[in-house]
Amino acid sequence: MDAINANLPTIWLFLVGFFLLYYVVTDGADLGVGMLTLVTRNSEEKKVMMDSIHSIWHGNQTWIVILGGMLFGAFPLFYSIVLSALYIPFIVMLFGFIFRGVAFEFYDNAEWKPVWLVSFGVGSLLATLGQGFALGGLLGGISVQSDSFAGHPDDWLNGYSAIAAAGVVAGYIMLGAAYLVARTEGPLQERSFRLASAAGFATALISAVIYFATSLLHPSMAGKWLFRGESVWPSLFLYFFLFLTLGAFAMYFRSLLRKRQLAPLVWNWLVVIFSFTGLSIGLYPAMIPSVGAAALTVEEVAASPTTLRFMLVVTLILLPIILTYTSYSYWIFRGKITRDEGYENR
Amino acid sequence: MELFQDQVLLSRIHFAFTAIFHILFPVLTIGLSIFLVGVEAKWLLTGQERYYQHARFWMRLFLLNFAVGVVSGIPMEFQFGTNWSAFSRAGGDIFGHLLGFEASMAFMLEAAFLGIMAFGWKRVSPGMHFFATCMVAFGGSLSAFWIMAANSWMQTPVGGEFVGNRFILTDAFAAIWNPDAFWGITHMWLACLEISLFVIGGISAWYLLRGRDTEFFLVSFKAMVVAAIVVTLLQMATGDGAGKSIFKAQPAKLAGIEAHWQTNPEGEGAPWKILAWPDKQLQANVWEIEVPNVLSLLATYSKTGTVTGLKEFPVADQPPLLLPFYSFRLMVLIGLLLAGLMVWSLWAWKKGELVPERVGRQKRLLYAWMAAIPLSYLAMETGWIVREVGRQPWVIQGVLRTEEGVSRLPAESVTGSLIGFVAIYTLLLILFLLFARRILQKGPNLVDSPVEKGKSHRDINRFLAKKHITRY
Repeated sequence: MDAINANLPTIWLFLVGFFLLYYVVTDGADLGVGMLTLVTRNSEEKKVMMDSIHSIWHGNQTWIVILGGMLFGAFPLFYSIVLSALYIPFIVMLFGFIFRGVAFEFYDNAEWKPVWLVSFGVGSLLATLGQGFALGGLLGGISVQSDSFAGHPDDWLNGYSAIAAAGVVAGYIMLGAAYLVARTEGPLQERSFRLASAAGFATALISAVIYFATSLLHPSMAGKWLFRGESVWPSLFLYFFLFLTLGAFAMYFRSLLRKRQLAPLVWNWLVVIFSFTGLSIGLYPAMIPSVGAAALTVEEVAASPTTLRFMLVVTLILLPIILTYTSYSYWIFRGKITRDEGYENR
Repeated sequence: MELFQDQVLLSRIHFAFTAIFHILFPVLTIGLSIFLVGVEAKWLLTGQERYYQHARFWMRLFLLNFAVGVVSGIPMEFQFGTNWSAFSRAGGDIFGHLLGFEASMAFMLEAAFLGIMAFGWKRVSPGMHFFATCMVAFGGSLSAFWIMAANSWMQTPVGGEFVGNRFILTDAFAAIWNPDAFWGITHMWLACLEISLFVIGGISAWYLLRGRDTEFFLVSFKAMVVAAIVVTLLQMATGDGAGKSIFKAQPAKLAGIEAHWQTNPEGEGAPWKILAWPDKQLQANVWEIEVPNVLSLLATYSKTGTVTGLKEFPVADQPPLLLPFYSFRLMVLIGLLLAGLMVWSLWAWKKGELVPERVGRQKRLLYAWMAAIPLSYLAMETGWIVREVGRQPWVIQGVLRTEEGVSRLPAESVTGSLIGFVAIYTLLLILFLLFARRILQKGPNLVDSPVEKGKSHRDINRFLAKKHITRY
């Protein structure tokens, strides 16, 4: 019990990391599918792509709502500083969510349907760009004074965050294409195989640039690469996750070459999980990295122990329940997507 | 323009606008999902296709309403961090974690089972489908519970202590079951039911008036008349409870709502202003129409009970007056009108007018039910104005002032996002109404039969599913 009490903020860091990664691999794929409709010419194919996520995107999106709430509760300082510092990217993401989210129901009811296919694609792109620039803005460093954001509202807009945004766009397209490989067949699946390879190469390349640029930006991360820290463990973990990431990428491309149906998506999940974990180890214990001044650590931004303990108990009871019924609903709608059935026939 | 430089005011307008828009949708989600549980249960119990057709028809409207509610709800959560970061820092310990619970317990449940409810008619058994509908309804009401507990905590912040402007939680249950929570939660939940029943009843009235599918819609209309007996009366009772809770915990808010300036001397009752024009600069009402002793009676059940007046509070701690005062009166008036409509409907029922051959002639009654739709929404919005504007100048009652709760943002950023939200939400509302009208004009599908079709589709899907699994 004492061990738990002493490490509550770190435990919550892992939980929040889990929520974030679950969101990215599931709704990231949904947003990727959405962006791919923008480069698809055939309206019927666009509709099949939209249908492939129709029954699950909403549940997937809810993980970012959970993530927001849990960050707000467990790390109030992080939540308040990061959201106000990255105001514009987050508002863009929210607008994107609106256009993406209403597209499904409005498509069903509209007479002029193509506009909602566009709304679906553009909304997905906006939400992804918002998330990408927010990630870049956070990892690039936020200037903080007396527990408040003290920088300029466009601090997030720079070369580094543009690379990060490109990485998120490429990564989500990779996830979306791998998802379509698993859920579709015929010409659409053939094209998704090719797109999944191309997006995979782009993501690998941009990820390497992000790792390099982040190390240049934050001396603490560079120090870990060079074994300059007090302990060798962070450095070892960093290299370990780098190799895991490379291995997952290799297996991803191998599964695409062998035309496997579900394996590319699974390897893609591992790519995301390993590369993100590596980046987090590089920056740990900073939760809000800062350029110049001292970064805010996990302990500093956490809520009070009473809150963290109470939330932990409730969350540990809830998570297995959520994962059970979520899996059930995935199971109900498993299999290949063919054609829209329409409300009357569902 | 001075308005576009006042960052605090802009952020307040930003929040007020998005909240006033968003809340229109979840209220119907909550009530309509309970109605769907009811008709689906009736279908399973009686086996009558009519109830299945009711479920299918109202679900279309439900899904449209739900979609707009979800997309306008996500910005609400993020807005606390983007626009109200100082508040988030101060109250995050409890407020944030209640939002986290709302998302993980309620939204997740709704989201996962909504897929089954909307698209699973032919993929799961009727019993499983009914379970999914129940979970969607349960998730909706549960979300109302958590968000109202969080909002009530802003009215009566207990369960911990404020250390240097930051709330440190010591007792989570005390914070959740804060003094305002019971009345806040029940009053709002009943508002959801009341609005939904007038929406369902009002739409049914529209069909009855046109003589379209009369027998079909008489079922839902009469069910809503019965529901109205319980809900309108309970709503008045919880309204009374909520008022007394404000009297005890937020005396300045109560005095503001009632434009009550002077504390009544011992042995004398406080009068209730039917109408008045309160003026903060004068610290008095310019004019007033009052009934003696009624305010004391309402607040304390005693003709001479002491009710603290506004003058006991420093001017800086007094709430705005005109908006809560008139919003409150409008809300109460509508509540009484809706209860009157319930009595009128019962009377018509007793006279034997609510039968297929005669109901179409009850034109006034049916028009009144249609008018009750916008009125019930208006009562809910004015109630929220009383609740939130009445709490001012505080964002957390007595602890953190609203102006101290905002993010340090340049006014241009807030203006920009506000314009964006106004434009997008206006578009959403227009499209929602357009599509809702289309659903209503199309009407229910009265030849839709669940049993045979369902069975064959389910078999086909099972077959297809098996084929695909082996392919993985």
